[in-house]
Amino acid sequence: MSALRLHRELAEIWATGPGWQRLAAVNHSVIGLRFMATSFVFFAIAGVLGMLTRVQLATPDAKFMDPETYNQVFTVHGSMMLFLFAIPMIEGLAVYLTPKILGTRDFAFPRLTAYGYWCFLFGGSIVAISLVFGVAPNSGWFMYTPLSSNVYTPGINADVWLIGITFVEISALTLAVEIVVSILKMRAPGMSLDRMPIFGWYMLVTALMMVVAFPPLILGAILLEIERAFGLPFFDPRRGGDPLLWQHLFWLFGHPDVYIIFLPMAGALSTIIPVFANRRLVGYRAIVVAIIALAFVSFGIWVHHMFTVGIPHLALAFFSTGSALVAVPTAVQIFAWLATLAHGRPRWDVPMLYVFGFFFVFVLGGLTGVMLAIVPFDWQAHDSYFVVAHMHYVVGGALAFPMLAAFYYWLPLLTGRTAVHRLSVPAFWLVFIGFNLTFFMMHLVGLLGMPRRVYTYPGDVGWNWLNLLSSVGGFIMTIGFGLVVIDMLTQFRYGRRVRRDPWRTTTLEWAMPIPPAPYAFASLPHVGAPADDIAAGRRALSLARGEGYLGFARNGWQETLGVHMTSGAPEQLIVLPRPTYLPLCTALATGAAALAMLFQFYLLSLAAALVTAGLFVLAGQRAGLVRDHGPLPVGHGVSLPPHTESAGAPPWWALIFTLLADGTIFASLVFGTFYLWIAAPNWPAAVAPTPSLTLALVTLAALAVAAAAARGSLRALVAGRSVRGWTGFAMLALIAAIAGAVVLIGGIAPPPREHALGATAAALLGYVVLHAGIGLLFLVSNLLRLGAGRVSARRSLDLRLTQLWLDYTVVTGAIALGLVLALPALVAMLGARP
Amino acid sequence: MSPHPVPPRRLWWLVAGFGVWCSALVVAYALHAVGCAFGWSAASLRLVLALVIVAHLVVLGWMWRDLATDRPEPGFGPTGTFLQTVALWTLIAAVVATVPMLGLTIALTTCL
Repeated sequence: MSALRLHRELAEIWATGPGWQRLAAVNHSVIGLRFMATSFVFFAIAGVLGMLTRVQLATPDAKFMDPETYNQVFTVHGSMMLFLFAIPMIEGLAVYLTPKILGTRDFAFPRLTAYGYWCFLFGGSIVAISLVFGVAPNSGWFMYTPLSSNVYTPGINADVWLIGITFVEISALTLAVEIVVSILKMRAPGMSLDRMPIFGWYMLVTALMMVVAFPPLILGAILLEIERAFGLPFFDPRRGGDPLLWQHLFWLFGHPDVYIIFLPMAGALSTIIPVFANRRLVGYRAIVVAIIALAFVSFGIWVHHMFTVGIPHLALAFFSTGSALVAVPTAVQIFAWLATLAHGRPRWDVPMLYVFGFFFVFVLGGLTGVMLAIVPFDWQAHDSYFVVAHMHYVVGGALAFPMLAAFYYWLPLLTGRTAVHRLSVPAFWLVFIGFNLTFFMMHLVGLLGMPRRVYTYPGDVGWNWLNLLSSVGGFIMTIGFGLVVIDMLTQFRYGRRVRRDPWRTTTLEWAMPIPPAPYAFASLPHVGAPADDIAAGRRALSLARGEGYLGFARNGWQETLGVHMTSGAPEQLIVLPRPTYLPLCTALATGAAALAMLFQFYLLSLAAALVTAGLFVLAGQRAGLVRDHGPLPVGHGVSLPPHTESAGAPPWWALIFTLLADGTIFASLVFGTFYLWIAAPNWPAAVAPTPSLTLALVTLAALAVAAAAARGSLRALVAGRSVRGWTGFAMLALIAAIAGAVVLIGGIAPPPREHALGATAAALLGYVVLHAGIGLLFLVSNLLRLGAGRVSARRSLDLRLTQLWLDYTVVTGAIALGLVLALPALVAMLGARP
Repeated sequence: MSPHPVPPRRLWWLVAGFGVWCSALVVAYALHAVGCAFGWSAASLRLVLALVIVAHLVVLGWMWRDLATDRPEPGFGPTGTFLQTVALWTLIAAVVATVPMLGLTIALTTCL
């Protein structure tokens, strides 16, 4: 088959339609670009807000903004930069690049990618539009309670943050699961883990961090919204809550988040630096060890943001030492990059300018980080502009400079052109000088005692010229970013035309047409050497001619390969879904639920949430294949079963990682319960809890019966018997469990609105109800798919997923119910302490 | 590709060392909070924390011995060697993180 004919056939199958059909796009290239473009719009808005704060602070006693407007502006600036720019930008980069670098055609769950994008767009829009109406969040980007409680923030400002940002976090979580599964299961054949490009390792570790980091904040945001909307006092110290619980939940997310932003950019640097150094990356294994260590240690030091809240010295020392230690794995990477440059023959081009900028800025940010890790210094600098400066140096160094290096490096993949030096070099120097002028001055003004988050300051305390210089620097930096944007836009039309693979790279994303076709590779490469060491340009032609795997079109299917996790041996044929409006509709329903919640139409919100659940079930009805196929040829004499007939299909792993995220939410809830028990003022409550042991045991037994019935249905399916009876039995058991838990919630003492003791019991039982309810959805979906012929003895994935979900529900249900039953004893222990 | 692929369950070894480190941190931090809340004496609190840390170090040591003395199965090829090396060094990193972060700090004032 000629390369052109193959291209036409594949393009017809994989392309996104024109006009309105663009809204149905699920292709990773389209969605990845949308993510990056949208996050860049939010970056521009947040940048303008940042400039407004610099205008206000340029001179003392300024009247440019009133305090309330200033509060909204700086809060949205921070929230937007972190949640709507930094994280989505790295997600966009991951979505666009990862499949290409790993030599596959798309991610495992294209509809989920699209749903994630729409959730991000809608959630971000809620926050952005709130600015226009003057109801934007105004409690700072980390929304500390009690300032963000409805006592001190009575409007909808805080709700906008809690609902809008949670919406975006759901998007991030879905993408994280998708990235993990795709990297583990969808690489080029032969790409074993030791041959995987280092970018893949970085993205894998980052996505796993996201799976575990986001849940505590999602839980915190849900609890705070429940407190604000329904009065359950999780964070209200007058009624047994504790504001510090919010800080713990926030920073359990917030600290790893810095590394979630840094690691993908470090992955980009580890890809770019060897190319420009003309040698392989030094210390591949050491870097893999370092990023695993970094991922863990970054979670273990969340308390260093809370050094001034009154934690005992010994515990402070745990986190202070850990905060200093985290510099070691970071330094391992920095030295590996320096060694690569030192042992190579570096050549300079625009991306390398930004690499230089990264080294300079990030090392400074890291050093001030080590300073702030030392408790006595932190006590002095806490809540001063020194912290603001440190934070910007870290995030700017970790994100902005590598991001621009990555843009300049990968833009030719899209445009077939490279940047015009006359514009890009001055743009870099403006950004670099402006950045350092803006934020270095903040170190000094912070050390002189200027607190953060003040809307103005008196003129006689010695902060005037530093603030003025900082503001001037801000404008220089903005002009620089403006030039960067102009430079990138002009590159599309006036850039220097280049042939494929202009940088003489060693990774697979350059072994494809420019711009990349929607199917990415006309045929999939076989990787027989370390994938960081592939002459990409030379592979392109043979892949375009269809000489790799799957170099043909079949049945109009979007086909790619699933591989063994460690060896990369081809294992299954993955058939991906075509473009559909379902992700958009589902995100619209989710958005309607969020907006109705925001405006306190709770029944409408519930209805929209049910529609969302229904749409997910509907999406399930269109997944998979309608009959058994057995092994199908995939090229090179290899035949593989479709993923629907394979034991380790991507959905199986996706559910495992989803349960990891879910388990983290549950663990955070259990942590919250114990935290309030041990630390909250006003415990024990006036009314002692008296949960019904019988009812709790009945609920647990019903959950166990449902799980056993799910096993029965799987056995019946494999044996060729009808499974409807087992499924119906499981449904009845789940309904009984839900009823039991609801009755338990109704009888909670003290009432959930009166004391955090009751509120935590209600939250634990609510968790059980929610999971049993989702179990019901699994069963309904199974019945529908059985009826449609999408489930068979060989295609038993649905039933295995259901079994896994219900097993998880039983385990967490037992812990939740056990904890509720244990509450009276825990309260009694508190009463008996000296 | 190796004749015998490394089973995916072996990937757990990549996170096993720091998993133990996590457990040590969580248990030590929680017991410290409980001890302070319930007015344990400084000596008994230190003893409990020391026992927790030593127990975790013993587990890490046992894992280290297991990994360092085991040769990678030849059938697993370079992938097996790579994963074993990375697992071993993450384990070493976890030990190095545990000792200063948790071990050396328990001499400080306990509940002030």
